[in-house]
Amino acid sequence: MAERLYRAVPADALRIVPLDDFTLIFHRPSGLSHLVTAPAPEILELLEQGPLTRAALLARLGERFELADASVEALDARLGELVATGLVEAA
Amino acid sequence: MTDQSSDQPGEERGGTTRRRALMLGAVGASAVVSIRPALAQTQASVINCEIPVPDAGRAGSYIAADGSIVPAGTPGAFPPASLAFKGEDVKTALAGGQLPGTTYEQNQAYVKYIRRLQSGTSGFTCFASLQMPRG
Amino acid sequence: MGFRVGSDWRAPIAELERLYAGYPQPEDGIPDFTVRLFAARPWRRWLRPAVTLGGDFVLPDAAPLPLAQGLLAAEMAMNLQMALGQRRYLLLHASAVERDGCAVLMTGLSGAGKSTLAALLGARGWRLMGDEFALVDPATGLVHAFPRLVSLKNAAIDVVRAALPEARFGPLLAGTPKGDIRHLVPDAEAVARMAEPAQPALILFPRFGFDAAERGLGPSEVFVRLTQASTNYVALGERGFEAMTRLVREVPARAIDYPDADSAIAQVETLWSAL
Repeated sequence: MAERLYRAVPADALRIVPLDDFTLIFHRPSGLSHLVTAPAPEILELLEQGPLTRAALLARLGERFELADASVEALDARLGELVATGLVEAA
Repeated sequence: MTDQSSDQPGEERGGTTRRRALMLGAVGASAVVSIRPALAQTQASVINCEIPVPDAGRAGSYIAADGSIVPAGTPGAFPPASLAFKGEDVKTALAGGQLPGTTYEQNQAYVKYIRRLQSGTSGFTCFASLQMPRG
Repeated sequence: MGFRVGSDWRAPIAELERLYAGYPQPEDGIPDFTVRLFAARPWRRWLRPAVTLGGDFVLPDAAPLPLAQGLLAAEMAMNLQMALGQRRYLLLHASAVERDGCAVLMTGLSGAGKSTLAALLGARGWRLMGDEFALVDPATGLVHAFPRLVSLKNAAIDVVRAALPEARFGPLLAGTPKGDIRHLVPDAEAVARMAEPAQPALILFPRFGFDAAERGLGPSEVFVRLTQASTNYVALGERGFEAMTRLVREVPARAIDYPDADSAIAQVETLWSAL
């Protein structure tokens, strides 16, 4: 089964304002606002560099950060939320 | 492949670059909080709002056991509620209680009707305000 | 901000005219919102008369109020027009008082004390900007006044009457869904200066009935709490997002617990002088 590719939405679809532990994101297509916390901003930043499969994203996160709880299930949950809110696109 | 040390300003310690710790989080947890439309008046609305059964636009119709609207006099269906129900009472009924002045079967039918309320029917706004999480 | 109030009964209109005497007419004589107080059925004008709220914007299922509480009905209806219809300003469900061009915004659940504190601060040299809604201009970040009748409940009524012996009050409305209510008429200065905006300088989340305590709030927590306190945040779209973001990044916020009004006032004054 071909792996799904995850990609960032077009840059002008989001207005991103980092605050404290949370980052504010205004999603222009839906007009809704979201507060996102780790690891969502880090995932978004990595996907901005180009689309990734779930496995590749997990690997990149592991290279860049000290991942205490690396698991495909956890990453799935995070990606699921981001896709559901329109902050990430799934191919 | 990008060089990881360039992404982590301030992380250098004694000449080596330490990666920042990151948690992916539990499967059941959430990293995204969405701001939902909130009606600051909702608290008062729940106390003061009413739901007529059925909708004023279909006054006189009966409610079938599954909550759908049927012509008056349909066998097995229930006549309209004589008074509109208050938000507080509906909230209780939705949680498993009973609407005032109803039999068990009547209550079941009415509650199913209320759950099916669509936007545009009178009673929907009251129903919607009961469902909205209060911040 | 002007309202046109139509009514099936004379009494609520007479009360509004009496209490709002001294307020300016709407610009160009054109009101921004219409409020209607009407009898849902013809006999409801006389038989246990009940006031149903109507207007440009409605919650179609609001239960009617008895005619004796017609003034309360009119105030609630006007609040509703603002809550549902305001698009020019970001609406915060907050009271606001001003001093030296800067404003304190106080927001929280019903019963937290925002109206009472605003009224009491108004007695101590602050200008009352409003007790129900603070209007933030997305373009400038300034907060605009909306000084309507201040709604005081239960024990707060006597506390405020004692602090403001010269002030005008509406009738005592007993037995409303929220207990006893009396309306305080904002003083002449509040009315005269209602067109003057102010720079938000402090956001407070008061909580009544606890030992005095205070804590700072981070901007993301303030963001969530203020969006929950706004009836039109989502409707304003990106303008609302920018206005709210600017507010939480630029204005300090504190949660204060207080056991009584004097304690709260002291906490506010202390926080204000520390800014």
